[in-house]
Amino acid sequence: MAENRKKSSTATILFAWLLVGIPLGWGVYNTLLNSMKLFQAPPAQSAPATPAPK
Amino acid sequence: MALFSFLDRDRSIADPGYSRWLVPPAALAIHLCIGQVYAFSVFKIPLTQLLGVTKSLPEDWKQTQIAWIFSFAIVILGVSAATFGKWLEGAGPRKAMFASATCFALGFFISYFGVVSHQLWLVYFGYGFVGGTGLGLGYISPVSTLIRWFPDRPGLATGMAIMGFGGGAMIGSPLAIKLMAFFRTSSDAGVGKTFLVMGALYFLLMMFGVFTIRVPQEGWKPEGWTAPVKEQKLVTTHKVDVNVAFRTPQFWLLWVVLCTNVTAGIGILEQASPMIQELFKGTIGPVAAGGFVGLLSLFNMAGRFFWASTSDFIGRKPTYFIFFTLGAVLYFFLPMTGANHLNTVKLFVTISVILLSMYGGGFATIPAYLRDLFGTHHVSAIHGRLLTAWSVAGVLGPVLVNYMREYQIQHGADKASAYQTVLHVMAGLLVVGFIANFLVRPVDQKYWLAEKRS
Repeated sequence: MAENRKKSSTATILFAWLLVGIPLGWGVYNTLLNSMKLFQAPPAQSAPATPAPK
Repeated sequence: MALFSFLDRDRSIADPGYSRWLVPPAALAIHLCIGQVYAFSVFKIPLTQLLGVTKSLPEDWKQTQIAWIFSFAIVILGVSAATFGKWLEGAGPRKAMFASATCFALGFFISYFGVVSHQLWLVYFGYGFVGGTGLGLGYISPVSTLIRWFPDRPGLATGMAIMGFGGGAMIGSPLAIKLMAFFRTSSDAGVGKTFLVMGALYFLLMMFGVFTIRVPQEGWKPEGWTAPVKEQKLVTTHKVDVNVAFRTPQFWLLWVVLCTNVTAGIGILEQASPMIQELFKGTIGPVAAGGFVGLLSLFNMAGRFFWASTSDFIGRKPTYFIFFTLGAVLYFFLPMTGANHLNTVKLFVTISVILLSMYGGGFATIPAYLRDLFGTHHVSAIHGRLLTAWSVAGVLGPVLVNYMREYQIQHGADKASAYQTVLHVMAGLLVVGFIANFLVRPVDQKYWLAEKRS
């Protein structure tokens, strides 16, 4: 195939990485946002009457 | 068929100017899509409310029936990878990736009809059987091609692709949630249309992989790279046929290595949310536990890249030694971080994310280990057969955790301390994996292919 005979351009390589990198980055960003809840969330609503010792 | 001749292996041989750095994104395009299977749980509740829309009606499907869709897909993944691996080696990655994309998208489309006609068997057949076949084909299709393009860094190359499988759930989950919210009306839960759109989107992204992937020309090697002169004991330059590899002790030792590593990882993944809440009752609630699960997913993905790349420098066997020694110690110590003992959430989270990184690392390093032992000739096919260990672990892990925990609770243990035995058994499993890894030796020359030197 004719298009294969030339050297892959940097733009092509960059485009290929962006095509998979953008959705992956979006997924990681969403997961990171979700993970933050571990560090931000207040203690459980259904906390027992005598909380576990700190 | 002439119509599909553009998919043939000889039509996808790279010309001299082709950059090997186009191959990992092509592989990632496949793995990011098929990794969606791990986000299938977002459909669990909506699929039980197809008729009631806001609540489940008695005629709606039950959660227990829905759970089988995922399990079926994972079992078929293993079966498909084991069955079609050898075909893939001859047909080439492009044809296999095309078949994978077609099956995976078709699975969504068939499931759409299952949802709109409320026929559960169509969803089992569509997502489970047809889609599951696409999963298996897609998982192994870029492996041997990546290894051939990156003889200098096989771990890095396969780690990148298999990292995509971990990342797929991170895309699939929010995408499905947003699409269902978009299509949701007062009379429709939006699941069917979501299946249609996801099938189409995934097919398009996978086609990018299909048309970007190339196989290197015979004898190609990276510019300026020469194969190491000094022979490494566990890295072969010979070829082993898949049907022969299947009969070697090395294959079964690696099968045990993968199975024990995955079973132990699933032990945490399966119970992550309830475990952290019960070990730290009153401190960690459901919202924070959801965050913990997200953090585990991130480290599962990152570990695939990190450990597989690291194995290029330290070797595959030492990498698994780290998983099994450090892993066993950490699993043993993990329950002691709970509120009943040290009561330190930070330490619990730190240990858990290290363990999950090694779980992902175990998946991502195995193709390079196989390449070291059996050569590149049938590495995808051998990898496909080895993935049956994953199917077994997928059943064994949850069963071990759930039944042992139930047994403990029924015999008077409280919920928090019931985890102790479970996690200690996981540590024991890793010791079994350690022994299997220890016993791995180079493949005997009686198993080499007749032409010997590659």
